[in-house]
Amino acid sequence: MGFFHQVLPGIGTKYELETESGDIISVIFMPNGRVQLYTQPAQCPDCYAADLNPMESRRLGNVLTGAIMEAEEEGVEIAFSALADLRIVVHTYIIRDQLSGKSITDLDIRSRTGVTILAVSRDGKNTVNPRPDFRFMSGDAVVVIGESDQIRVFEQEFME
Amino acid sequence: MDGMEGIAIALAVCVVVALICRRYALPPIPFYIITGLLLGTAGLGIVGTSEISEWIAHMGLLFLLFTMGLHLHPGEVAKRRGSFLTAGLIDLVINFTAGFAVAFLIGLPFYDAVVLAGAFYISSSAIALSSLIDNRKLGFRESDTVIWLMVFEDIMLVALLILFTAQDVSPFRIIGIIICVAAAAFTCVWKFRGRLRQFFAREDELPILAVFLAVVLAVAVSEVTGVPDSLFVIILGSAISLAAADRAEVVARPFREVFLVIFFVFFGISVSFSGVPSFVIVTSVIVLAIITKLISGLVIGKVIHGRIYSGIDIWADTASRGEFSILLAMLYGSPAVVPVVAAMVVITSCVGSFSGKYSTHIRRWCGHIVAGK
Repeated sequence: MGFFHQVLPGIGTKYELETESGDIISVIFMPNGRVQLYTQPAQCPDCYAADLNPMESRRLGNVLTGAIMEAEEEGVEIAFSALADLRIVVHTYIIRDQLSGKSITDLDIRSRTGVTILAVSRDGKNTVNPRPDFRFMSGDAVVVIGESDQIRVFEQEFME
Repeated sequence: MDGMEGIAIALAVCVVVALICRRYALPPIPFYIITGLLLGTAGLGIVGTSEISEWIAHMGLLFLLFTMGLHLHPGEVAKRRGSFLTAGLIDLVINFTAGFAVAFLIGLPFYDAVVLAGAFYISSSAIALSSLIDNRKLGFRESDTVIWLMVFEDIMLVALLILFTAQDVSPFRIIGIIICVAAAAFTCVWKFRGRLRQFFAREDELPILAVFLAVVLAVAVSEVTGVPDSLFVIILGSAISLAAADRAEVVARPFREVFLVIFFVFFGISVSFSGVPSFVIVTSVIVLAIITKLISGLVIGKVIHGRIYSGIDIWADTASRGEFSILLAMLYGSPAVVPVVAAMVVITSCVGSFSGKYSTHIRRWCGHIVAGK
């Protein structure tokens, strides 16, 4: 299995992968963000091509790395097939009045539910990895990360 | 009509032409020239050249060469192995010699013959590269060969420009100045490449200003030193490619697109067919231009890829002559050469866009014919 890349002047960068079975896959990145993908099966002179926009190429990349994203209304679930099917959920919630003024330590979020508060968004400003003494205010948008069971516990404890 | 009205009319027609070309996936370059021919001296005589149009056309040429320089990253070129040189030399020897022989046979003086040979030899990078992208051919090995052939031809163009310049004034002085400017440009960019990369990554207007300044600076240095600005912009482009080739290209692109359309259409407008040799001669030059690229393509296919049919793919995308042929004719050609080059560019690029689109069919068809025998 060989893998190499080269610059194509005036076009972009080309990555070429030869699989064990002798198929050749080429990926060409162009400066305008578009990507062209070619597959050339072994023993076949023809090339099959696809022209992808940046969004499409990211989606294809996600599928290939095994991180299949199932978009929910306010969260995504990412499955890492390489890590014994580890499934991680990232979810957003809006803080309601009864949690207002309480800190992360007061609520003891990590030990009670297992989830981690990843970020808080308040009035258009984001705080990533808030400190334990961070105090919530009503209307804050929080991003939590955890396994789906832990997320469910978090919803029951704090969001209902 | 001269001046701004003329430019407005020409540009308005070009917008419509570009729209039609995009609609039918045709290369716009030959159609800009045809538009110019129809509007200008050779056609209806509606639009004439003026100082402003010449200035804008000249900027188009400089931006074309600047972006060409951006593709000449010295490190990447130096990394290429023997196949790059072999393919390039086959292409050069066959097509340049043929072009020179033809020019000599139709009785052009030596200087004009070299100009025509250069125009005859250099394919259109713009048409070749967009054909490879639009027709989804980048996966083929032959496409790599085509892309690097274009780079080799660019380097030969630089050599030709130096040759034409050096014969005007004292050659050693000119070459000395070029080497000094190149050394200064490359050293500066290399020394400050980290900062330059950050600078070109900016989202505000500064990179745009800097690129325009680079080109204007090249003109200014050229006025002081007497070395043509075309060489300086290539050197600057190539130097900047060390730091931020992709970003600089994105920034320079709008300038190039606008000014280059003016360059093509006003080239068409300025062409006069009065000094042209006979129709038969022009036609035979064009037919030969297509045939010699086929021969060089087949030889390259056989030598580099081991298959003569690869040559058909190589020919299909390199048959078009375009921007660089016009550039040589416009800068150095006499009234006898210019219309021949104009006709050659228009016809070969139309043939080339067709062959680029259907190269796989043409190759298969040739395979059937040979097998049938």
